[in-house]
Amino acid sequence: MQEHPYLFLAVLAAAGVAFCVGPLALARLWTMLFSPARPGPVKNATYECGLEPQSDPWRRFHAGYYVYAIIFLVFDVEAVFLLPFAVAFGGLSVGAFLAMMGFLLLLVEGLVWAWRKGVLQWR
Amino acid sequence: MSACASSPTSGGGASGSLPSLEALRDRLLEAVPGAQIQIQPNPAVPEQSSLVVDPAHAVAVARYLRDAEDLRLDYCSNVTGVDWLDAFTEETVTRTRVVEGREVTVEETIRHRRPGYLEVVYHLYSMSLRHGPVILRQRTRNRVDDTRVASLTPVWRSAEFQEREVYDLFGVQFEGHPDLRRILMWDEFADHPMRKDYVEPDDYEYEPTPNAEILPKARRHYPLEGTA
Amino acid sequence: MDPGLQNELSKRGIFTTTWQELLRFGYNWGRKNSLWPLNFGLACCAIEMIAASMARFDIARFGAEVFRPSPRQADLMIVAGTVTKKMAPLVVRLYNQMPEPKYVIAMGACAISGGPFKQGYNVLKGIDRFLPVDVHIPGCPPRPEALLHGLITLQKLIEAQEIHGPNKPRHLQETAPNEYPIPRYGRFDLDPPKNPEVWPGRPLPRGENK
Repeated sequence: MQEHPYLFLAVLAAAGVAFCVGPLALARLWTMLFSPARPGPVKNATYECGLEPQSDPWRRFHAGYYVYAIIFLVFDVEAVFLLPFAVAFGGLSVGAFLAMMGFLLLLVEGLVWAWRKGVLQWR
Repeated sequence: MSACASSPTSGGGASGSLPSLEALRDRLLEAVPGAQIQIQPNPAVPEQSSLVVDPAHAVAVARYLRDAEDLRLDYCSNVTGVDWLDAFTEETVTRTRVVEGREVTVEETIRHRRPGYLEVVYHLYSMSLRHGPVILRQRTRNRVDDTRVASLTPVWRSAEFQEREVYDLFGVQFEGHPDLRRILMWDEFADHPMRKDYVEPDDYEYEPTPNAEILPKARRHYPLEGTA
Repeated sequence: MDPGLQNELSKRGIFTTTWQELLRFGYNWGRKNSLWPLNFGLACCAIEMIAASMARFDIARFGAEVFRPSPRQADLMIVAGTVTKKMAPLVVRLYNQMPEPKYVIAMGACAISGGPFKQGYNVLKGIDRFLPVDVHIPGCPPRPEALLHGLITLQKLIEAQEIHGPNKPRHLQETAPNEYPIPRYGRFDLDPPKNPEVWPGRPLPRGENK
């Protein structure tokens, strides 16, 4: 009998699904037998370092939080550049120094702009 | 050490740039009219005598100590509390009495009661002039219902947490403190553990220690025959 | 299988076992060699705990180097240090948030009994007033070797656990409590000051000691 030309696809798909679902099913079986779930109100509560949970973990964060984080990230990255700059400072040409100063100026401008906008003020 | 020994009532510090405590008191009395300032002598080895200020003028006195040109006590390093229980002094008086028609000389003992109070002690140093300490004390009226003193946090910001601690552990109410809450014990706690009449919770169910104070408490939980 | 026959066979170099025994061995072997501690310390004992996890003492030799920053991933709570009464509800809540199976090591005199601070007003006189402690490590603070010894002791305890029958561990028992009550802050003490199910307050065997 001539086998279907696309049979191998079905076989591969079945093998792929089994490869994914098999270990999960085994893990599920293991859980049922040897580590049964014991949920409870305290166990399922939000983890806040042992303190009583204050609110739902899915609550919305203040938008300022993200702007704050981005500004932090900018200066975090700046530190990555500043350290080699400081280490190699003795052997740098004037052009490299000016380029670095331009880079710093851009970042400082951004900080001043954010400052003027009141981003750094936590309300 | 010799500089200290020569002037028993100097600020107690090793530096010579501080005026003596008597001179300081006189200056303060002049600068802050109406203030009541006494010197509390300390005859112990460190000779750290202190100034006792009445709470009504404490902030003004503290401001003067911080701002005066030659004092500049800009650093309040330590705030602590002391609980003084009611003190009884006994005095023996010889009196003549008529007993059964005769005059008899009787020695009588009179007990004087000085009501207890809570005391707050501040240790002040100068960072800019490098001298100190000057020790400032405030006393409450009693230790039961009128336990107010003035907060010196507006003068020295470093006193804030320490005054909260004194409030927490001794129950001294600091008037003018920006944020007077408990700092070490939990908010629901109702007692002041560092007071001398504080009774701790009795949870000595299991105390194998031969501690003379603890063992009777543990025995109350385990009355044994012959030992109770 | 008859134990006499098993013994006889083992003398001749033939080892026999049952499926259940093999399963129990594998289950316990896997658990005891990957105890993940919760990454938290309360006082100076934590310094010794950190030292035990570093290269010189190397707790990784015993499979317990994965200090987890979240209780959801931890198996072992090393109560390393003084538990103040203000901290006790937090410790109990952290323990409750750990998944089963979970174990507790009380490390140091303070965690066992309050230690040098036990007559203080603010120190819990032993974390076993609220939590079921598996291993106590005395010392003030215990050396890292003592912590390793405690860990090995715990591993032996785990190794000996049954997975069937009446003696099976708590996490396999249907009726065992899955959460321990968290004390609340009272007016003068924790409320309740102890968990009577964990800390029955047995009478001292003082009469027998005499």
